[in-house]
Amino acid sequence: MPSLSYLLTRLLQIIPTFLLVMVFIFLLVRLLPGDPAIAMAEAKATDAQLEQIRHNLGLDQPLPIQFLVFVKNTLTGDLGRSIMLKAPVMEIILDRLPTTIFLALYSVILAVCLAGPLAFLAASRANSTVDIAIRGVFQVGLSMPVFYIGLVLLTVLAAQLRLFPVGGYGTGFVDNLYHLILPALSVALYTSAIILRNLRASLIEVLDADYVQFARAKGLAPRIIMTRHVLRNALVSTVTLLGLSIGNLMSGTLVTETVFAVPGVGRLMLEAIFARDYPLIQGLTLTFAVLVSVVFLLTDVVQSWLDPRLRQS
Amino acid sequence: MKRLLPILLGAALGLASATSAFAIERGGVMTFARYDDSTVIDPVYADRNPDLWMVTGLYETLLRNGPDGMIEPGLAEGYEVSADGRTVTLTLKDGLKFSDGSPLTGADVVFSLDRARDPELGPWAGLLGAVEKISAEDRKITLSLKNPDPTIISILATFNTGIMPKAAFEKAAGANDQEKARAFFAAGPVTSGPFTLKSRVQGSSMSFARNPNYWRPGEDGKPLPYLDQVDFIVIPDDATRILKLQAGEVDAAEFIPFARVGELGADPNLTMELFPSTRIVYAPINTRDTRKDGSKNPLADVKVRQALNYATDKNVLIKLVTFDTGKPMTSLMSAATQLHYGPEPLYPYNPEKAKQLLDEAGLSGGFEVKLTTLAGSADDATLFTALQQMWAPLGVNLQVEQVDNPTRGEKNRSGDFDIHTYGWANDVNDPAQVTGWLGYYKQRQAVGTGWNNAEFNALFEASNVEVDPAKRKDEYKKMQEIYAAEAPLLFLFETPFAVAVSKSIEGYVQTPLGANDFSEAWRAK
Repeated sequence: MPSLSYLLTRLLQIIPTFLLVMVFIFLLVRLLPGDPAIAMAEAKATDAQLEQIRHNLGLDQPLPIQFLVFVKNTLTGDLGRSIMLKAPVMEIILDRLPTTIFLALYSVILAVCLAGPLAFLAASRANSTVDIAIRGVFQVGLSMPVFYIGLVLLTVLAAQLRLFPVGGYGTGFVDNLYHLILPALSVALYTSAIILRNLRASLIEVLDADYVQFARAKGLAPRIIMTRHVLRNALVSTVTLLGLSIGNLMSGTLVTETVFAVPGVGRLMLEAIFARDYPLIQGLTLTFAVLVSVVFLLTDVVQSWLDPRLRQS
Repeated sequence: MKRLLPILLGAALGLASATSAFAIERGGVMTFARYDDSTVIDPVYADRNPDLWMVTGLYETLLRNGPDGMIEPGLAEGYEVSADGRTVTLTLKDGLKFSDGSPLTGADVVFSLDRARDPELGPWAGLLGAVEKISAEDRKITLSLKNPDPTIISILATFNTGIMPKAAFEKAAGANDQEKARAFFAAGPVTSGPFTLKSRVQGSSMSFARNPNYWRPGEDGKPLPYLDQVDFIVIPDDATRILKLQAGEVDAAEFIPFARVGELGADPNLTMELFPSTRIVYAPINTRDTRKDGSKNPLADVKVRQALNYATDKNVLIKLVTFDTGKPMTSLMSAATQLHYGPEPLYPYNPEKAKQLLDEAGLSGGFEVKLTTLAGSADDATLFTALQQMWAPLGVNLQVEQVDNPTRGEKNRSGDFDIHTYGWANDVNDPAQVTGWLGYYKQRQAVGTGWNNAEFNALFEASNVEVDPAKRKDEYKKMQEIYAAEAPLLFLFETPFAVAVSKSIEGYVQTPLGANDFSEAWRAK
């Protein structure tokens, strides 16, 4: 296992990342043209009412003051009140976040379950018809946008064959699994294509490596060669890729959650941007930053466990 | 007797079949797919359409908007306006109750209306701006006004004057009104409308349950509503909402894109409803002498604005954008708005006349104009390409600028545009709101156009204190004539509210103001 000091160093490295994220997001939302007061009042308010709204939101303060207030509040765990939903941002995010995490994990598990066995099959029969067929199908998955895969799945499996519900969210674990199958699958198809391609390539590479040839020559059982030598080495780059794709997945939820009517933070982000809901956009971006950082940290930990050489660097 | 029996039998059978065709059935649940969720359904804090279109389902007003657009009694038996227009008296119906069974009294009315007119609270307080004092004596409610206000009767039928329970609201936890409102709604609020709020998951779903104490009787003489429950599911994506309806997972889906109205209308399981609305689609024209960048603005000349209106073939746009579900504008307001005056479509297509008007304005050599549209809107993209082609023969070079909604709002407010797309639906059953919005300079520089017409402004001000209905009607006629002639807008079209409903559901209505009315909906078993 990686040492405690390694973990601490990685954790400390996250702090400047967050500070940068905070500066960027604060400036970016304010550089967007459009005024949250106007977005909020649906254009019908008088100028005096708009002034009042801006004052209430603290938007009439100079930018540096607004930024200091934002940092101070964030450090004390106060992400402000959503302009659009009129409730504390923290509360809203905590309410919606489990759905997104559930969907993300569900997609990753599906992707791994799909890509893993097929990658083995393809690698063990490299360049055979089976290999070419598997790669061909997944190449198609890779070249289609997630929302399009989603719409095709919806139309065929949900609307026509009526095997699954057309989006929405269930109550309870099993019901959630059932309701989220199509959104999870549409994301998983894309992610598994990436994993498959990478895992197949590294499996072929490792299977050819000297130490594997040597192990074979030693007469080790194929199962032991596979688990101890091949898999462990082939997984290093795949884990990195999986980590990265979970990061991507977070941004992918913006689209998936909208298409499938899943009430997660992805859809919330889209709504917040359209409403110029500064506190909510800031809060959500920080949340995404935290999530991605945690995923990357975990990726590093798993990698250094798989490959001890990485701990020294 | 022998000869009478078959006749009687036949009559009885005939009657039975007639009633079974029309008999309303009670009970059941209806599931409704919405394009967006409500954030607050409090009558006072509601500020976005998805909020305010739900309010009247939970909170009844003293007066109601009838199906023909006329004002009907609501919680009040009727109203009386004094001769000087300064006092409105209403009498509450006898035996009214809230959803929890507690009596609905004059004190609740005073509480609710005082809350509704408090400018510190909701964005709609101005609607009750003329009110000086509200008092109640038993069932008699008196509104004393600072000045006569011809809109007050319509306001008493508007969502923000919904009657809430004073005692239950004040009992809710919280230090101020905002916190109390939150706690009150989170706890499953006591209501006065046809439904109560049973449950909700923000951003996802919401359930309305039947209010057993609602006052209004149905066709069978028993109290409305017929349904036991209405479930709402939020599905922002148009295609998914429709798929969900086609898969039978929901009973109705709102905001059907016009491009799909024909297809859903042909579905034997569905009724494609096109409810008359007060919704208009138009394009404000910047009428200021100079543009924001200081250059001379050709659109300041009324002849140029008229020419562009004549050069626009509205019927083609209606076909392209609304798939023939819309109709041309005949006035600044929709034909479904009270006091509408517009005997015929404004500026029928006439390229010759357009050319002649541009010649008179000294612009026969052509000029360049920018159209600001919503990015990502297929309708706006269609409008732009069609207008570009329609105006090109006149030498008008139409440029496009695509922005998102908040940016468009800001450009409108700062006057940084030539022409931009916009839409509107009335929130109040009275023409003053739309007229003030589109034409009254002092309110918002006439929908941001900068159009400042002294005669129009004076008429608008006069009409706002005019208690003689005939005189007010005349003032509105004049205002609509002036506006049409001056053309501070590119007049485009009116559109209906398109809702696709399963054949098993009857009686759902979306009112011209957009409110979702489930009070008389029922499910055939």
